[in-house]
Amino acid sequence: MSFIVAFLWSYVLWLVLTAGSEGMLWSTEELVAGVLFSAVVAFATRNLIGEKAGRFLNPVKWAGFVIYAIGPLFWGMVRANFDVAYRVITGKIKPGIVRVPVELENDAQYTLLSNSITLTPGTLTIDACPEEKALYVHWINVTEREPKDSSVVAGSFEKWARWLGR
Amino acid sequence: MSEERGMGIIVETIARATIPLIGIFGAYVVSHGHLTPGGGFQGGATIAGAGILFLIAFGLGEMKQHYNKNLYSILEGLGGLAFLGMAMLGIGVAFFYNTLWHNGPIFNGRPGTLLSAGYLPVMNIAVGLKVFAGLVSAMVAIASYRRWGK
Repeated sequence: MSFIVAFLWSYVLWLVLTAGSEGMLWSTEELVAGVLFSAVVAFATRNLIGEKAGRFLNPVKWAGFVIYAIGPLFWGMVRANFDVAYRVITGKIKPGIVRVPVELENDAQYTLLSNSITLTPGTLTIDACPEEKALYVHWINVTEREPKDSSVVAGSFEKWARWLGR
Repeated sequence: MSEERGMGIIVETIARATIPLIGIFGAYVVSHGHLTPGGGFQGGATIAGAGILFLIAFGLGEMKQHYNKNLYSILEGLGGLAFLGMAMLGIGVAFFYNTLWHNGPIFNGRPGTLLSAGYLPVMNIAVGLKVFAGLVSAMVAIASYRRWGK
């Protein structure tokens, strides 16, 4: 199963890289070579990509990733950039590291939430501790020293990360 | 051994997702060496970067379980032999004579397609394999060499 996931994952990148080899599409030899090279790469990384990576083959989840990327994540980045520009101009900052408790179960969820928090300026994930179910976030303007959940730092990102990484 | 552990959950998860991508991108650079910038060394070094990412993200302890010295040694030798074999193919005319391009059954397609340029794609793959195996072996050897703390 994880071989198939690694194979498809690398074959899609191969198709992206070699698009346009015959008109706008792919020539037969590129397609065959892609299968061969992807099979080699997938065989080499079959134990690496994880047993449960097959859950990301779900098309509903792909749509979820696209919606998340152009919806909440992009909007959060735009808003947070203006907020940081305001803080750069006025100098009203109050930096600090806060511990944010989160309700996540697996690695993918922690990665999605941590990267989303780091991508939105003003907050930066320093450490993710799955054993104590918490993230340590460096925050440019601490308004709450001990937040009860991640909504003050990350808005709706935790809900999305919980769904997308499930 | 504290030095042998990995870098934490986020780096490991991202490494799981990106190592296949780095591998296939390196394979693309290697196999299109006669068409686009790059080639055997550049692609091989890219793939070796994926191996080094594994070593750094998961730590030396995990790397030691997945790294086989004899396998990498054989792969490196195989790359060199394949290069030599391609060079010897046209020995009837001259050393390094590109007989696959002039009259050989494959690799003599229209210039610009994947299967053109005679022995060059095969030599690129051979060099890529050699560079990958050599660089990963060198990095694992350096990482394993430890007299620092003792």
